[in-house]
Amino acid sequence: MSIEAINEQLLRAIGVGVALAEIDTGVLRFANDTFADWFGAPDDSTTIAEVMTGLDAKAALAKLVDEGRHTTEVTFKMRRRSITVAVEFNHALEGQVELAVLVCQNITRIKELEAMIDSYSMMVERNTHEIRREKEQVEKLLLNMMPRAAYEEYKSFGVVAPRVFEDVSVLTLDFAEFGKILADNDPAVIVSELNDIYTAFDRIGEQFGCERVRTTGDSYFAVSGVPDPVNDHAGSVANAAIRFLRYLERRNTSHPIQWSARIGLASGPVIGSVVGVQKYVYDVFGPAVAAADVIRAGALPMQIAVDPSLEDRIDERFQIANGTLAEAEKPNAEIR
Amino acid sequence: MTKTPYEKYGGFSTVSRIVMSLYDKLLDDDDVGPFFDDVDMPQLIDHQTKFVSTLMGGPASFTDTHIANAHKHLEIDDMHFDRLKELIVETLEEFSVDTEDSDAVLAAFEARRGLLIET
Repeated sequence: MSIEAINEQLLRAIGVGVALAEIDTGVLRFANDTFADWFGAPDDSTTIAEVMTGLDAKAALAKLVDEGRHTTEVTFKMRRRSITVAVEFNHALEGQVELAVLVCQNITRIKELEAMIDSYSMMVERNTHEIRREKEQVEKLLLNMMPRAAYEEYKSFGVVAPRVFEDVSVLTLDFAEFGKILADNDPAVIVSELNDIYTAFDRIGEQFGCERVRTTGDSYFAVSGVPDPVNDHAGSVANAAIRFLRYLERRNTSHPIQWSARIGLASGPVIGSVVGVQKYVYDVFGPAVAAADVIRAGALPMQIAVDPSLEDRIDERFQIANGTLAEAEKPNAEIR
Repeated sequence: MTKTPYEKYGGFSTVSRIVMSLYDKLLDDDDVGPFFDDVDMPQLIDHQTKFVSTLMGGPASFTDTHIANAHKHLEIDDMHFDRLKELIVETLEEFSVDTEDSDAVLAAFEARRGLLIET
C-alpha cells in the first residue's frame, strides 16, 4: 500500500470530520467517514449549505476568504441526541482552485458537561443561600439566649468563660397572687398575657439599657451592665422599674386580669456565664441577684423595693421612701 | 452524621459521571428514549443532574411537586418506570455502588412512582 493510500485511509477513519469544499461554489470535493456519519455522504454536486443545515455556509466561506481562517459551531440532532460540532475552516489551494478545508471536532460532551456544571452550580448556589438563611436563624435564636459578646466568644471557642462583673444593677420582678390568677384563668390566656407583658418589659428595658436574663413563670429578671458596661446602671434599672409599673397600671385599666408586680432592685457584683453543655443558656447570678430577690420578697404589690446597695446611686430624678422607689415629684423632662 | 451515598462516592465528581452515563443510556434506550425526543439537551441534563443528585442525597432541589409537574404531560406506564429502574441499577453497578446504597437509591425512586404514573 502506498503512503498516499495509507494517509487517505487514516484520514477517512479518524474521529475528526474532515471535508474539502470549493470556496466559490461551496461544492464538497471530499468528506471523510466521520463527516459523512454526521452530515451524510455528499455526491458530486452536494454543497456545504445542503449538508450543514444549521450553518450559514456563504457567510462562513466569506469570512474564510477575509480572515484566512474561520471557526464556528453547528448543532444538529442525531437520533434524539443534540450533537454539537466545532467547525474550523482553513484555506488551501489545489492548482488554481481555492479550497476550504473543514475540520470538525465533536464537542457534544463538552457542551453536555457545561450544561451539567450550570445546573449543579445553580443547585449549590441555592443550597448555599438556604444554609446562610438557616445560619442566620440559628444565630438569631442563640442571640435570644445569650448576649452578643457571649455568643461571639461561644462561636470562636465553643465555650463561654465565666466572668465576674463587679458593679452592675439587677432588677427582679414577680406577680402578686399569681397562684390565684393561674387558678382562675385558662393557661393559654395566661401564657398569651405574660408574653405580651414580657415583650413590653423587654422593649422598655432595651430603651433604658437593661437586658432580660430570663423569665421563669411569673418571675422576670433583667440586668444592666452585663456584659457591656453601662455607666448609670442603677438609673437604668430604676427607670425601667418605674415604667414597668406604669405600663401595668395602664394595661390593667383595659384588661380583665389585673397584674400586680413586685419589683426588687439591687447593685453589686454578679457572675455571667453560659451554663449547661447540651441545653446551654446564658445565666447571671451572684450577690446582687440574691439581694434583689430578697428585697423583692418584702415589696408590696405595685411597689419597687430598693436594696441599700442601690440606694446611694440613685440621683435626684428618683425619690426613696421607706425603701420604696418612686419618681421625684418634679420629674426631669429629659427622662419623660 | 452518617454520610449520604452522594458524599460516600465522591460527591459531584462521581455523580457527574453517573449522570452522564445514565443520560447516554436513557437516550439510547428504545423504551424510555422517545420521551426525550423533543427535550433540549441543557434541560435534560439539568433534569438528570438534579434527579441523580436528589436520589443520592446530594444538594437536592427536586420537590415532589416539581417532579409531578415535569411529567404530567407524559404518558408514562409502569413498564417505562421499571425500565428506568433497570437502567439506574446498571449505571450504579458500573460505578461499583454497594448493593445497600443502590437499594436505597432505588427505594427513593420507587417512592415516587405514583408521581409519574397516573393511576
